[in-house]
Amino acid sequence: MKLELRNIEKSFGEKHVLTGVSFTAEGGKAFGLLGRNGAGKTTSIRILMDVFGADRGDVLLDGAPIDYERVGIGYLPEERGLYPKKKVIDQLVYFAELKGMEHKAAIAACDAWLARLGMTEYRNKRLDTLSKGNQQKIQLVTALAHDPEIVILDEPFSGLDPVNAMLLKDVVREQIGKGKIVLFSSHQMSYIEEFCDSIAIIHQGKVVLHGDLKDIKHSYARDKLTVQSPEADRIRLDFGAAASSMADGSVLLRLASAEQKQETMRALAEKYEIDAMKVFEPSLNDIFVEYASEEAGK
Amino acid sequence: MKQFGKIFKFEFNGYLKNKVFVGITVFFVIAIAVCMFIPNIIAAFSSDAPDEGGTGEPLPVMLIASEQEGLADVIVPFFASAFADYEVKGTEETVNAVKAKVESGEVECAFVFDSLSSYTYYVENLSMYDMNAEIASTALKTALQMDLMQRLGLSPEQAAAVLSATVESRTETLGKNQMDNFFYTYIMIFALYMVILLYGQMVATNVATEKSSRAMEVLVTTAKPTSMMFGKVLASCLAGFTQLVLIFGSAILFYNINRANLDNPIISSIFDIPIELFIYMIVFFILGFLIYAFLFGAIGSTASKLEDINTSVMPITFLFIIGFMVVMFSMAGGSIDNVAMKICSYVPFTSPMAMFTRIAMSTVAWYEIAISIVLLAGSVVGIGVLSARIYRVGVLLYGTPPKLTKILKAVFADRKRV
Repeated sequence: MKLELRNIEKSFGEKHVLTGVSFTAEGGKAFGLLGRNGAGKTTSIRILMDVFGADRGDVLLDGAPIDYERVGIGYLPEERGLYPKKKVIDQLVYFAELKGMEHKAAIAACDAWLARLGMTEYRNKRLDTLSKGNQQKIQLVTALAHDPEIVILDEPFSGLDPVNAMLLKDVVREQIGKGKIVLFSSHQMSYIEEFCDSIAIIHQGKVVLHGDLKDIKHSYARDKLTVQSPEADRIRLDFGAAASSMADGSVLLRLASAEQKQETMRALAEKYEIDAMKVFEPSLNDIFVEYASEEAGK
Repeated sequence: MKQFGKIFKFEFNGYLKNKVFVGITVFFVIAIAVCMFIPNIIAAFSSDAPDEGGTGEPLPVMLIASEQEGLADVIVPFFASAFADYEVKGTEETVNAVKAKVESGEVECAFVFDSLSSYTYYVENLSMYDMNAEIASTALKTALQMDLMQRLGLSPEQAAAVLSATVESRTETLGKNQMDNFFYTYIMIFALYMVILLYGQMVATNVATEKSSRAMEVLVTTAKPTSMMFGKVLASCLAGFTQLVLIFGSAILFYNINRANLDNPIISSIFDIPIELFIYMIVFFILGFLIYAFLFGAIGSTASKLEDINTSVMPITFLFIIGFMVVMFSMAGGSIDNVAMKICSYVPFTSPMAMFTRIAMSTVAWYEIAISIVLLAGSVVGIGVLSARIYRVGVLLYGTPPKLTKILKAVFADRKRV
């Protein structure tokens, strides 16, 4: 299964929100959609889910325009909320039925998910009597109960304690394992890095970076070294302008070219006491800041 | 269509589980039961102790005073027959003494005469409905006329014959008797007024609650806006109708149980509504309800907070109240077919009230009714679709409620099918 957004254009009145947005997400893999607040992530997701139409461009599934009647989509919105005054099971079944399930199947599926998430005891409680984290787990059930082919999770980990975050990670891995298309949108780069094989960064309505995360990282010139050493100050003095300090106290050395890295490492190991050293790879965080900062768009 | 069914069921169940909704319905049924059974209960008690000519309560005292000797005695018999519910007494006390008696409450009221044709009426608190002065003047006028005629040489019998000459008259209604239809028209208009404003507010609040609780974020990605809007509005319509059927149904039931003791012509006229008028009532009621419920739903979708609703619905409420006022004033004034009513009976927002009133209380050609219903039904569908589109644009807008022009612009710029 392959989900593709191709050259999506969208304006609201005078405001141009999306300009030629294209990206591809594949089944059995997680895809990370990144971008700063207001970059156009939610608009892209809404177009993908047919909440409103694009001015131009296509949403394709396996090369053909997506048929919303037949393809199930599960959505966990960033702005969470269900019916606070209604019973948990009543609203879960309602949402599952709206997504096309039969009444009995909906009850069975919702009960199974409540059990999976350890929420069975809240089945007949009113939603507003639950804690925020538990409400979020209930909301997750609305996204998954109808067993959709495409799962869209917007900031799924925000507000969860570490134990619940683990539980959610297991659920997400399970969904990926079933061959579904799992689309993440998040600002928590560590989670994206942990799950996503490929990413797209949207900045000011344009896709500024798109592709396999490993390839992206490898595409950076391998001409920097990070060195951890008790003699960090000496190294910094000796290398002068080519050395800088990193947040964790290690030294970042800029080399004239990538070819010099073996030679430099050998020299360093002979000359100084070294705890650890490796070729520097930018973190997703670094990549994101590089592509989505104010200056990046200019 | 399947989604519509699910939404309709969910929303309707929501009403049935709403404690306020159930409470109001039960309250009205009980209140009507009490009203209808009261005459029965009273009759049951009073049959044990039959009335013995009303000697229980002493009658209030009316004082006829004049410092002119004998004048009071002349007037007392006239007044005694004119004011059967007073004990009329004559006196020759001074004005101040009479006033003191009225003030102390010893007597209810007093007439102080300067001469047969001139008096002052004294009463402690003048009620809005106090007709005593008018009755007194009429009685005195008869006395004066009798006196005058006798002085001109007529015998008392001749004078009495002159005064009692009457005209025989009959009225035959070829169209409608407005009096007969007044009360149920009034009740229908009032019920429509109450139900539309009440349920309209409920629909608007319902939509705004989904929006403010962000349940909308999931709903809007799950269900089509037309299914949402029509599901919600038709569910509220059925809920409102169920409530009215329960209330009026129990009223009819209790009326029939107590029919023997309820010989009040007004109550009878309410329950003896002609069948074709009853059908018109239902048609106009449902269509009127729907057109406003759709508008209220659309308005609710543009509000991000529940507090915003009250100001946002104001234009619609005004529109409705204007129609209500036109109908009410026309009914009270008796001119059912005035120009304002004729216009209002075709405008979809006012025709449910105006056209029904005209049908009930005047004579309207069938094609006029047909045009009005077709216009109204067409508008219901049109407003329904428009409100669904406003809904889809509106529910995703947060912040201050947008201006109407801005919403409509967004609605028409929106290329996607609903």
